[in-house]
Amino acid sequence: MKMKKILALILALCLIVTAAAACGGDSGKGGGKLKVATSPDFAPMAFVDTSKQGQEQYVGFDIMLANYIADEMGKELEIMPMSFDACTTAVSTGTVDMAISGFSWKQDREDNFNLSDFYYPGDNESDQVVIVRKEDEGKYTKPEDFAGMKVGAQTSSLQESLCQEQLPDCEIVVVGDLGTGLLQLKKGDFDAMAVAKGQADVFMSNDDGVALSGFQFEVDPKYTANVIVMKKGADDLTKQVNEILKKAYDSGVYGQWYDEAKELAMSATAEEVTMPDEPSGADEGGEGGEPSTQEE
Amino acid sequence: MDLSQIGPNIVKILQQYWQVFLLEGVANTLKLTAIAVLFGVILGTLVAMAKMCRFKVVRFFIGVYIEVIRGTPILLQLYIFYFVLPQLLPFLALSPFMWVALALCINSSAYVSEVIRAGIQAVDKGQTEAARSLGLSGRQTMTRIVLPQAVRNILPALGNEFIMMLKETSLASTFFLGDLMTSYLLVGGATYLRFEALIIVGVIYLCLTFPLSKVVAAFERRMARGTAD
Repeated sequence: MKMKKILALILALCLIVTAAAACGGDSGKGGGKLKVATSPDFAPMAFVDTSKQGQEQYVGFDIMLANYIADEMGKELEIMPMSFDACTTAVSTGTVDMAISGFSWKQDREDNFNLSDFYYPGDNESDQVVIVRKEDEGKYTKPEDFAGMKVGAQTSSLQESLCQEQLPDCEIVVVGDLGTGLLQLKKGDFDAMAVAKGQADVFMSNDDGVALSGFQFEVDPKYTANVIVMKKGADDLTKQVNEILKKAYDSGVYGQWYDEAKELAMSATAEEVTMPDEPSGADEGGEGGEPSTQEE
Repeated sequence: MDLSQIGPNIVKILQQYWQVFLLEGVANTLKLTAIAVLFGVILGTLVAMAKMCRFKVVRFFIGVYIEVIRGTPILLQLYIFYFVLPQLLPFLALSPFMWVALALCINSSAYVSEVIRAGIQAVDKGQTEAARSLGLSGRQTMTRIVLPQAVRNILPALGNEFIMMLKETSLASTFFLGDLMTSYLLVGGATYLRFEALIIVGVIYLCLTFPLSKVVAAFERRMARGTAD
């Protein structure tokens, strides 16, 4: 009997300690909060400024849009970072109010979620291009040039369907994420990769090994715009969000946001990463301890 | 792929982002691991005791608990703890970090309980029989004879559990909880130098696990000293 009492005591203690450790963390469903899921590993749409902490650190176009929506609703924005796949799960379980993570319109998304009207991150994001290794720069300009070639595209992405439609003679190799795709391209797993223009710009600013192929897809703008994902049946919220999106569109802030986000993304990469050659001995010890602050 | 660029790029990433890897990444990974293993051991001990108790019903349910936890992927458990449990138990109000830590604790407890149970049951039955026939009570036999011998089976295995857990905390990066793998996602996502970031993170993981596994191995040798067989 005594043994059991001790057991119960230890168990209770465990619970209390866990609960106590958790106090001070954010609470569950907040009243005046707008919870937004995003996958912050996708510059310039959503990424992290590592010189900042907490909610401040999330930057990029989607984050600016989320801020704008929260402001218009008079709520406090809370970004919940998670992997891209988890974002839609978070919406359907109600963990977040919406997911803003560069989602494009798709039929199965439309079937399972409430989608907002389109928002446009600007021309760079709607133009769709093909990138190649540096030595092949500008070699491919017509769809026929890609016949028999291996072309990489992110799995179930817009670029994958574009390849299927417009480059019928190529062999499509699907990649999980674009960063890995870039590695595979450079390694020679495939010879070209279909990406959004904005993405290609970030790649090229950072990496001398890739360049534009010279080919650009013909795209119906509808398919290149992004949508906000909300829970099926959240019609009031969807209506409210659509009104805010319209207001943002009318005031013409999208282009400005995108330029800002892109500049920030480039400063996170190019500025520091392309440094002049220095005598190598000084490199490793002398970081000076400060990560450079990124400019607004 | 241009291999010659990797070295310089790694240096460049480290110069700009070393704090993200070393201060945040390593700290959070160790924090998560420590919480998971510490509470995993406490909970696991209780689970192991329940698994060996004399009530059949308790043994059955504990058996189900262990099988379910060990038979499903950790990632799935993290999803359940992150998305489903907060809504079933809204009064708990844990932060995402704590939910994931809790999931890892529960996961660890199932493995630890089996380590402990196996450690205890590996002690030769003759030891118990001898102790009992010398007139020791059941509890005395357990605490003075069986447990001291079981500990040397159990401790090295717990060290291995710590190393396993250290690697498994990388799954917390699904929710960007700041562990080492999150550092990779953040730095890789901002710079698109993913391969270089991966190498850095890999080396750091190795630097953490290699000395640990050496310690465990030394410990194993120390514990093996003086056994009859």
